[in-house]
Amino acid sequence: MMSNLPLAWLVVVGVGTPAILLALLGIAALIDRPVAERWISSLTAGLMIISGAALAAALVAYGTATAGTRLLAFGAWSTSHQGGIAIEFLVDRLSLAFAVISVTIAGIVSAFSSRYLHRDVGYHRYFVLLAMFVTGMLLVALAGNIEVLFIGWELIGLSSALLVGFFHERPAPVSNAFRVFSIYRISDAAMLSAAVLLHHVAGSDSLSLLFSGTPLPAKTGLTGANATMIAVLLIVAVAGKSALLPFSGWLPRAMEGPTPSSAVYYGSLSIHAGCFLLLRSAPLLEQSTVARLLAGSLGTATAIFAGMTTRVQSDVKSSLAYASLTQVGLIVTEIALGWYAIAFVHLAGHACFRLLQFLSAPNVLHDLHGMENALGGRLARSTDYLVTLLPAGVRRVLFLIFLERGFLDNIVDRVIVEPFVRTAQSLTRLDQWLCDAGAWTNARTGRGCRDE
Amino acid sequence: MPMEPGSSPRAAAPSHPISRLLDRLAVLLPAQGPISIFIHHNPLHAFEHHTFEQAVVHAAERLGCEPFLSEGQYRAKLASGRILAADVEAVLRDELGVRGTADIAGLGSRLDLWQAIILHGIPTVAGGELSWALTETPALSHFRSDLPPSARSLLAAPRDNADRGGEEARLVRRLWKACCQAVGRASEASSQPPMPPVRHRDWLHTVCGIDTDGWIHPPLIRFLAGYLDQGLAHWAMPERSRGLHGCFLEIYRTPLAAECGQWAQTLPRHVADDRAANRNARDSIVNSLVHLGVTNDELADYLGAELLALRGWAGIVRQIEGRPDRVPARDLTVTLRGYVAVRLLFERAALEHAARLVSFAGPISALRSWLRDRQPPPTPPGEYERAWPLFHAAQLWGLDVSIVEQWQAQEVAVLECELRELHAVRQRSILQQAFERTIHHRLYDALSAHSPQAAAAAPAFQAVFCLDEREESFRRHLEEVEPTCETFSTAGFFNVAMYHQGVADAHPRPLCPAAIRPLHYVAEIDPEGDRLAGRSRRLRRRTAGFLGYNVHLGSRRPVRGAVLMTAFGWLALIPLVLRVVFPWLSSRWHRAHERTSTGVRTRLQLDRQDVPPPIGNYSGFTVREMADIVRRVLEDTALCNRLSRLVLMIGHGSISLNNPHESAHDCGACGGGRGGPNARAFAQMANDPRVRQLLASEGLHIGTATWFVGGQRNTCNNEVRFFDEDLVPARCRPLFEQAQAAIDAARRREAHERCRRFDAVPQWYPPLAALAHVEGRAGDLAQPRPEYGHATNAFCIIGRRTRTRGLFLDRRAFLVSYDPTSDDDGAILARIMAAAVPVIAGISLEYYFSYIDPIGYGCGTKLPHNVTSLLGVMDGAQSDLRTGLPWQMVEIHEPTRVAIVVEGAPESVGRAVRGNPTIEQLVRHRWIWLSCLDQASGTLWEYQPTGWLRHAPERPLPSVVGDSADWYQGKRGFLPPAAIVPRSSASA
Repeated sequence: MMSNLPLAWLVVVGVGTPAILLALLGIAALIDRPVAERWISSLTAGLMIISGAALAAALVAYGTATAGTRLLAFGAWSTSHQGGIAIEFLVDRLSLAFAVISVTIAGIVSAFSSRYLHRDVGYHRYFVLLAMFVTGMLLVALAGNIEVLFIGWELIGLSSALLVGFFHERPAPVSNAFRVFSIYRISDAAMLSAAVLLHHVAGSDSLSLLFSGTPLPAKTGLTGANATMIAVLLIVAVAGKSALLPFSGWLPRAMEGPTPSSAVYYGSLSIHAGCFLLLRSAPLLEQSTVARLLAGSLGTATAIFAGMTTRVQSDVKSSLAYASLTQVGLIVTEIALGWYAIAFVHLAGHACFRLLQFLSAPNVLHDLHGMENALGGRLARSTDYLVTLLPAGVRRVLFLIFLERGFLDNIVDRVIVEPFVRTAQSLTRLDQWLCDAGAWTNARTGRGCRDE
Repeated sequence: MPMEPGSSPRAAAPSHPISRLLDRLAVLLPAQGPISIFIHHNPLHAFEHHTFEQAVVHAAERLGCEPFLSEGQYRAKLASGRILAADVEAVLRDELGVRGTADIAGLGSRLDLWQAIILHGIPTVAGGELSWALTETPALSHFRSDLPPSARSLLAAPRDNADRGGEEARLVRRLWKACCQAVGRASEASSQPPMPPVRHRDWLHTVCGIDTDGWIHPPLIRFLAGYLDQGLAHWAMPERSRGLHGCFLEIYRTPLAAECGQWAQTLPRHVADDRAANRNARDSIVNSLVHLGVTNDELADYLGAELLALRGWAGIVRQIEGRPDRVPARDLTVTLRGYVAVRLLFERAALEHAARLVSFAGPISALRSWLRDRQPPPTPPGEYERAWPLFHAAQLWGLDVSIVEQWQAQEVAVLECELRELHAVRQRSILQQAFERTIHHRLYDALSAHSPQAAAAAPAFQAVFCLDEREESFRRHLEEVEPTCETFSTAGFFNVAMYHQGVADAHPRPLCPAAIRPLHYVAEIDPEGDRLAGRSRRLRRRTAGFLGYNVHLGSRRPVRGAVLMTAFGWLALIPLVLRVVFPWLSSRWHRAHERTSTGVRTRLQLDRQDVPPPIGNYSGFTVREMADIVRRVLEDTALCNRLSRLVLMIGHGSISLNNPHESAHDCGACGGGRGGPNARAFAQMANDPRVRQLLASEGLHIGTATWFVGGQRNTCNNEVRFFDEDLVPARCRPLFEQAQAAIDAARRREAHERCRRFDAVPQWYPPLAALAHVEGRAGDLAQPRPEYGHATNAFCIIGRRTRTRGLFLDRRAFLVSYDPTSDDDGAILARIMAAAVPVIAGISLEYYFSYIDPIGYGCGTKLPHNVTSLLGVMDGAQSDLRTGLPWQMVEIHEPTRVAIVVEGAPESVGRAVRGNPTIEQLVRHRWIWLSCLDQASGTLWEYQPTGWLRHAPERPLPSVVGDSADWYQGKRGFLPPAAIVPRSSASA
């Protein structure tokens, strides 16, 4: 491991600086010491630059050195995997490249936000959450074991939900944030189950097995049904985080936060975190045809659904949200097909492009007006050949389906939420009945434990 | 002059009672049209027939908004000296009149008692909060810390006692006990039950906590936004030709519509029912109302509440119904009754579901009475709640405990009656009036004290600006840079009302006040257009447009998008970094690029052509019309007899990025457009020898030596651009260059003054850096405040510049040129006021209310705004359409009605006001403050309902030697008016 030392240091600095930012701003917020805007923005800019530079240097150092995946472990106190927590980073071209992209984009967004949120009461809070997000993103990108991955995954989810509810003085952002958070819980449960299963099957929580980029050795036991099981759980986790079907309903609801946070999460980085995870677990995916089929069909169905839905949306942020979901669906499909390099370039290009589009979403009137002027007339609504071929009745129904975003929220409510709530309510009733019955036998005059 | 013609229905008076009723109720809706043509208006236009103080309270109740700032904000202003106690007293004296001297329960005059309460306030707490305040705060252990010294000395006479704290606590407790006992002796409190709600939803919400609006609004908004969409969605809603209600019935006829939500199970049935009965929107409303059990006598209240439940969207429906020419999709049939019909169908389905949830089995029409029986009765205020205000009042008045202990039922009744009259809203109202008095009396003092500057005998050049208050600073700086110049101002469309279409514009745009529908169409043409240079310019523009449009479209498509992102996605980093990290650079590059892509030497096609115009009635103007336009402006500004050799006409506009409210920064007199073309057209008309000849024959001589040049100032980046420079004759050229140099210097200085209000700009910034800063702001993607627009506007001065020249007015004053000495019969004043006052009042009141209640009247913070249907903005993912101004535009504003000062004798100003019913109503009901400055004596008269009141100056006018920067440099907040004395004349 000695030869890894400079690389290791670069990676530690790269991941550590956002974590320091999070700690500084977070602690200041917790002990109620508001920091001046100017300090927050300079500190953020400085640390982001350091982090970006360190990771870029790591990528260069890695590229010039011999190729191959390297596992950097910190915290030798728990190498036995008997319940301790080790901080392990997995360093290869993919993880470093994704980390560099993440920091670059987050850096641009923090520069944007430092002026966009000027004088907002939540300025400090926003930057705490942004730092939390960057830390989470880098942990996911460079995770070497399931613990690190899970911590990163959670930081992304938590900061995402809190930013959706950023304007908590209005009810809509809060209820939408709650919805996003709930869907993330499903995703997290799947992820956690996958981790437990992986540990159980392979006897290791290290992701180097999974993420090595080379075909899995047979002895790990990650073949057949086991591999399928784990891969399917991972795909559920990915579907929740990347808003694939049937979880797509939360994505337009997440547009409640300030424009730059919507841009960096749902246009650019967080939405791709699932794709990246899938890309990382490619060796596992390759073990299971079922999982690949599942991923491919989910991706394609999402792309078609989102591609149609975006055409019908009449507000710019929903339109962009579904447009980015279309590309996310395609990226997932590409991964399922085994086109990893293309998928990664697609992912990176999409992250940059959509960020620009999201950040300039409020400019849409100006932009469309400029295009009209340049073209010298009203912009034609694009004709959809497929759509025009359909009979009017079908067109109407399709329009309603896409206008209502596939009724997904209602379906999820009916299929998952309602039975869940109903079960919980019956259990409560049963509980109370038992309680009442007990109280009645114990003291005939007592009112039991019914709390009225 | 009607301020908002959109509020009048397009069609002839409809006959059906429902339509008539909806027309009557629609005035309550926000009158804001599409956001790209932003016209400032009074959000409470429907309440203008009330006096201001009554109107804001009525409106607050009806719309659920705040009538005034919060009490805390007024307390902060009192503490910082923005409100003076003397002004509070003056306002109270006015309000109470003789009632002020009446003695209240033997405690003192009403004036004194009220004043003590207003200046210090009684915390409003009730219920659990009151018990908390009594047990957890020092309320019962110490006297209030903010007591006036006189009261304190009376309450707790200093004693040489070691145990002062204990003594005070004993006194306070005794006082509290005395108050409680006094209340106990008093008669029962009468409790007024709150107004019962009208809508089923409100009953459900009050009694069961179920919000059916929360269910139906998301799909209703999606449907409305899709229907009204002006081109944002690529797949337009089908069946739009059938009207709102008809289209709805077609799209929601499928059983799938029941999937809109758990509540929507019966929606398809209602749709099918309407279709089967072949109902139109009106019949559907009548049918729904029958099902809802709405009786005829509550119809107006019920429908009014329905409209206001989603008032932004209902308002835009109404606006498009009234002025379909303001939106791109002109062929849409949009009616308010269609909206109400759809809304009621949704509502019925939701109510049926809600009834199931609360286990109500009967018909929906009986739901309200069922809920009414389940409403808990209102509880009268308890003993503590009644004692609390008395306890505080006793402290504020410095009452000895023994007095309180002797209070009987009668005293308590009198005091409670007094406190009820001086309720919290009344206190805020008085504080608001005192606040405004403090502000505008400063101006009156300054105008009374400022000595008129003698006009230069022969000005080097003259510049005519818009009356906009953002030009006040520009004119001041120009005059400081070039003391030999003169500046004037008039409504920024320079009386040229036209549809204008620039060389690079796809569509003509009306450039005139919103109340006028232009008759004339004027195109900008490119005489070189057929030559190679012109053609290649056009080609370049089209290629760029084609590429841009395809990227815009392709990025939303699956396959095209995938290719685009994979191959070129990275390239987005370049504009990202440029626009976000180096905005100044990108704005420079952008402007350079713009100059090359538009024709350099274009001309306006002003002469009357025989071809039919694409919009309006005529192409171009006749010489007669041009002469009338020129005459009117020259007369209004009193330029006729003193034209210099060069006259600059400068309109204004504002260009910024990432700002849906961009148009709100443009020229109000151009109907939210940019006034450059108007200035250019005016200059071209005034230079026309035929026009001059015609005018000369009518006695208005424009010398051959005089030349007019039109220009436009971008108020955001302070760029000033001139039109038709190549036509400036050689004899005027040196003068024109001198003027340009002066304007350049003024541009820098004005940017510098503007920067003092931007928090992010260090106060040491030199003028050159300040100019670069505002340029960067205009091109910055991340900048929600490209400029502060009309924020801080507070005054309007109609009169000669000599009255205000050299007076620092802090960009707060609309200035209108008017010379009373050349207006014997008051005709000019009447027409100036008719054109300017409603526009200025609209701007002032829009800023006023957007600041008072940024959520209710304004559109909240810009940060989560989401442009929808190309018509307006929503908050975040989905919300009501937000009207009014965003907080980022108004945050530095001071909410004050505009104080209009007209130069002229009280009689002639009074005549002009009485002659115009709109202005008369605004003045009489105090939506604006009016005063006049006698041109002969220099006395200032304030308008009062009782007559003109002579203003007695209260404060001297500060005076600074040097230039404006010497007064404002290093200061952030509001600056009072000051006389800026040039160094040369100071030393002379």
